[in-house]
Amino acid sequence: MYVTASVDDERCNGCRLCILACPEPNTIVHFPAPQKVRVVAARCKGCGLCVEHCPRGCVSLERPPAAAGA
Amino acid sequence: MSLDITRINPAFADVMPQEYKDLVADGPFGRQLGVRDLGTFQELLEEHPLCAGCNLALAFRALVASLPNPEDSVLVGSTGCNSIAFPQLALHNVHSLFGNQNAVASGLKRALTLRFPGRVKDVVVVAGDGATADIGLDMTLHSWFRGEKITTVMLDNEVYANTGGQESGMTAQGEVRNMAPTGKKFEKIRLPDLAVDAGCAYVAVANTGNLARLGKVFRRAVLVAREVGPTYLQVYTPCPTNLKMNPAGSVGLAKERGKKDYGFREHLTPEAEQCLAAREGTAGSGEEEKNAP
Repeated sequence: MYVTASVDDERCNGCRLCILACPEPNTIVHFPAPQKVRVVAARCKGCGLCVEHCPRGCVSLERPPAAAGA
Repeated sequence: MSLDITRINPAFADVMPQEYKDLVADGPFGRQLGVRDLGTFQELLEEHPLCAGCNLALAFRALVASLPNPEDSVLVGSTGCNSIAFPQLALHNVHSLFGNQNAVASGLKRALTLRFPGRVKDVVVVAGDGATADIGLDMTLHSWFRGEKITTVMLDNEVYANTGGQESGMTAQGEVRNMAPTGKKFEKIRLPDLAVDAGCAYVAVANTGNLARLGKVFRRAVLVAREVGPTYLQVYTPCPTNLKMNPAGSVGLAKERGKKDYGFREHLTPEAEQCLAAREGTAGSGEEEKNAP
């Protein structure tokens, strides 16, 4: 993928609104302790719906390192 | 884990895909999960090939996560965008010919009722607007007239998205599509009204702007179909590819339409109300609202 979602660990409070906005199953995973979410980059299509729906602005679209170096 | 057939033979454990192992260890079978639990368990849908930002995929994901009894449910699909997600689904599912989905589901439900008299088997039709309201309208209506105990879900993207963007009967009047350059000439088919007239016990209209509510009404539709009669759920699922919009704005569009002409509404017969009043305490309904995206 050219771009994938990426979560700022410092600012994420694990509210999971990004998960409810994502059309891709098993792509954003929630960890209860600590309250955080993590994006499985290989499954992300970079649509940006999670970015739109994050109330804290801690999700962004980035080029993964492999694609950036290509 | 109540679905024994998913258990992995120890001799093959080392060659099974990780997704399958995750499904056995952390899948929804035998657990009462819903939309509010998304992200905390291995979902039944995996790496579908639908477009980035597809709201149909978003709705499909919510529906599959909200099945009250996934191990005893069969999904019947039809030709369309959603049919390319069906092979990625860890559920019993049938792909029917374009438009035949309600006829196939009716037969399936009757056969399952005879074959497993002591068990609840939910049969759910998931099809697009073309399969439900255009090509399959006769099969859809007649399954309702006959009172078949199945749930019909229309994922309405108001276009034949999988074949390039022709207008469908569900396209709103005046809308321009890729292969309808002068705009739709007649009104959108009022299928929810037809469903009420045809005798559906539960009819709901929802959109992807409120995923929690979508999961809740889908669960209600399945529970009512199980005991009372046919149910119909129509979901607005905008297609960013055919609408030529930024995928990130697609849920925003669904919310916008939800405030105008595609607002949430529900119709219940008195029997359906009684059924839900008796069932909803254990069916996991209501709490999800606070987590709506």
